[in-house]
Order: sequence, then structure tokens, then C-alpha cells
Amino acid sequence: MAKIACFVEKYNFSDPREEKALQNFKQAAARLGHEFDFMFRENVSAIPQYDAVFIRATTDPLFTAYVVSRTASELGLRVIDDPKSIRICGNKIHQYSLFEKYGIPHIPTLFINKEEFHHRQILEIFREFGKPVVIKAPYTSFSRYVEKVACETSFREVALRFFRKSDVLTVQKFMPTAFDWRVGVLNDEILYVCKYMIPKGRWKHGAKLRGKPTVIWGRTFSMKRENAPAKLKEVALKACQVIGHGLYGVDIKEANGEYVVVEVNDNPSIYSGYEDLRNKDLYGKIIAYLAD
Amino acid sequence: MRPTTFLRSSIKDFILNLNNDYRYLKTGYYVSMHAEVLGNRVIPSSESIIDANRTPILLLKASKAGIPTMPYLVTDSVKRIMSAFSFPVVVFAVNPFSYDGFRTANNKSALYRAVKSLGMNYKFTVCVQPLRGEIVSFKSIFGKCEQDQALQEISEKVYGVFGIPICKLHAQRVGHAAFLCGLQPLKKEEVDSQDLKLIMEEISQMSNLGEHLVG
Repeated sequence: MAKIACFVEKYNFSDPREEKALQNFKQAAARLGHEFDFMFRENVSAIPQYDAVFIRATTDPLFTAYVVSRTASELGLRVIDDPKSIRICGNKIHQYSLFEKYGIPHIPTLFINKEEFHHRQILEIFREFGKPVVIKAPYTSFSRYVEKVACETSFREVALRFFRKSDVLTVQKFMPTAFDWRVGVLNDEILYVCKYMIPKGRWKHGAKLRGKPTVIWGRTFSMKRENAPAKLKEVALKACQVIGHGLYGVDIKEANGEYVVVEVNDNPSIYSGYEDLRNKDLYGKIIAYLAD
Repeated sequence: MRPTTFLRSSIKDFILNLNNDYRYLKTGYYVSMHAEVLGNRVIPSSESIIDANRTPILLLKASKAGIPTMPYLVTDSVKRIMSAFSFPVVVFAVNPFSYDGFRTANNKSALYRAVKSLGMNYKFTVCVQPLRGEIVSFKSIFGKCEQDQALQEISEKVYGVFGIPICKLHAQRVGHAAFLCGLQPLKKEEVDSQDLKLIMEEISQMSNLGEHLVG
């Protein structure tokens, strides 16, 4: 029997679908004969009492989740998400550099740095990628800190805002599609496949309403992993191998029959009735991996 | 070579990344990351940069390497801190925004203030250690410092484990013993002519070995 700690924050329980998914993990653990406890940030010092740590709180090298992951890893525990995956997936500059190095098909991407940011550079980017382009902060997650710009003024405004936190940013070609594929991968195996639809009149899965803090999310269609296109699964697995062997959610765009990786996310969303709809065994597979 | 020039290059060699500020997402971090993507050996590594700047990870790795450290607690709960340690205590931030300094607390209300402030209204955790002596903050350049032997040993070992060439260390001196407490980047104005001389000496030694230097 393994003792698994699930590191969560209070916000993980604010959406009933996510709360249900967390309970599903607990039930799957009990079914397989393992102990599964929720661990909040006030008791992270209890990490050495466990055999494995499963992180569900948002990860970033600057968040407590990274301290939890690194501590568990230093103590020799199995951990999802492992520190290396958090470092690479939490920094898109790192991720796209690796995609470039290993020839992973991805959206055409350029890096801009704060020190060399100049009018001429913006013109060159528009000449190469056309208008609009997408500026992405390296620490983007849940569709935040990704903005579309179509003129120099808005390019400058968005870039300067993102430069406050990071000295390097990514700029990508705009590729509008009706949906993004989301492929869940665990330890080099496909876990689930779904389509994240783009809300009508928007260009990304999670879009903010103009002038309001509310975010509207596109619908999610799940499919059996066996029914997903083979080429899609191949691209997803190839992209994950560059990063590690943990749990990932790969976002992929399909254009003219070709698949290009948008990004690989560690700590992918798992909501009951969404990602798990056609692949109910994902809970058991993740628990079994942690307890192995 | 300037960091921005290196970020555009594809040099394949050993890289010494010199910067006063190695914080995550800053140029100092990207230089090490870029060197690693190119397959180069680099000092410091991007992993060490993150580890050294997160106090709980710094202390965990340091104690594993035999560097004297005090026990520590990562939490956002004042009650838990008070049940673990007696006053006074020293509190370090574990949030994405604060990277310098610490707070000491001699009583409950001071501890509440410190946890509230460094935890950004209890949104993030803090790293708390018991304070048994006096805190000494000093510059460490390539593991060298102008302090007593106990602190010099800490400085050398921290450089050995994390490889951060330029930084400020916080340690507790308790009698003749010293305990590592934290690490933070140096501000540009804190680097004086003596430090530059020391850096130049190290650089010339490495240049003689034919290494690439970025800074």
C-alpha cells in the first residue's frame, strides 16, 4: 500500500467538476488499496511521511507547488509534476527552445528580449508572421498572459506589460482554428483525447469578456483515445518525450491536415465529465503510476 | 560577451554566466537556460538558480550537502509556527515577488505581521527558522567572502553546491558556529571595486583555461 499526498489549494475545490475529479482520484486510490490524503500548504512539512506526491495546485517555479515538487524529488519520492517538467512547461521560452532543438512541429515562434526591443524588430516580426501576431508571456497558463496584437502600439503596450516580469517573451504566428486538440499523456502513453472548442467570436479556449473579469470557456468534447487520429497521438508523444515522462496535456492545432504543437502543459486540467468522459480509467492509471 | 549576444548565439562550449541578478525569468536565468539547451556545461545551472533562490529548497539541499542549517518550516499558519518554534524566529518569503531580505519576529504580533507581509496577505507560504544568534548578511563572490572561518566555510560550500558566482548570503552566527539561512541576488550598486577585482581574477584564471565567459 502506498501513501499518496495530493497537494491542493482551496481554489481546487471551488469548481464542482474539479472537486468531483479530486474525489474520483481518492476513490480510485482506495479501490487500488492506497491511501490518498489532500495536503494543503500549511502542512507541506508532512511530505516525508508519504511515498508519492500528486500536485493539483497550479505549478510554476515561483509557486509553493514547485517547493513541494522539489522537496519530494530531493527526498526520493515519486512526484507528479516533477521539478524538471514544471521548469520546462512553466517557461515557454525553455519549451520552444527544446522544440526547436529536437524538431518538434510547433507554431512558428520568435523570442524577443527586453534589452533589444525596438521599433524595427516589431516591423520585422509583422513582415515575417503577418498581422495579427500572438504575444505570449513565458509563464502563461489557463489562456492568461497570451494576447493578440495587430499594430505596433498594441504590440508595444502588451510587450512592455509582460516584460515587467520576464526579460524574454515569445511571439507567435496567429493560427485561428475552431478548436485545439488536448491530448493527455502519462509516462509516454496516451491517457485521454479531447477537443477544446474556441468560443464563438473568440480566438482562444478561455476568453475574457471585454471590460469584465469573467472568463468564458469553450466547450470540451471528449473522445475515446483509440478513436483519435494516429498522427495526432504521435506528435503529442514526441513533444512530451522532449520534456519528461510525467503527466502532460498537449495542446495541438490542426491546419491543412498537419498537426502543430501549441504547447505542452504540466498539471493539465482534469474535470469530471470533461477530460474523463470517454476515458474513465485515467484516475486509476495516474494512481497506479504514483504508487508504482 | 554580452548576455543578449549569447542568447542569439549557438556557441558550444563551457559557459560561465556572470550576473549580479540570477533571479528566475531575468536575463541571468535565460543565459544558463540557453546554454543548457545548446548542450553546454554552464555555471550556474538553471536548476541551481531556482533552487538557491527558494529558501526551503536552498536549506534542504544545503543540509544534505553537510552545510549547517537550522530546522525550518514552510507554512502560512502562525499557529503551526508557534507550536514548532519558540521566539525569536526569522521569516523568509516564498512568494513570486519578494526576493530580498527577511523579517525577524520576537513575539506573536510581530510574527503575524511578518507572515501577513511576506505571505502577501496569507496568499503564499513563508519559510521560518528559529533565531538563536545574530543574522549576518555578506557578499559571496565565487564562494569567497571577508568573514570569519565559519562563514567562509559556508560561503565556499554554498558555491560548491549551487555554483552561484555572485550573491548575498544570510547566515546565523551562534557562538563560534554559523548556520546558513538564505541567499539573495546582489544589487548592482552593492558590487564594489574590491569585488570586481576578485571577479576579474577568477575570470582571468578561467580564460587561461580557454572558457567562454558571458556577463
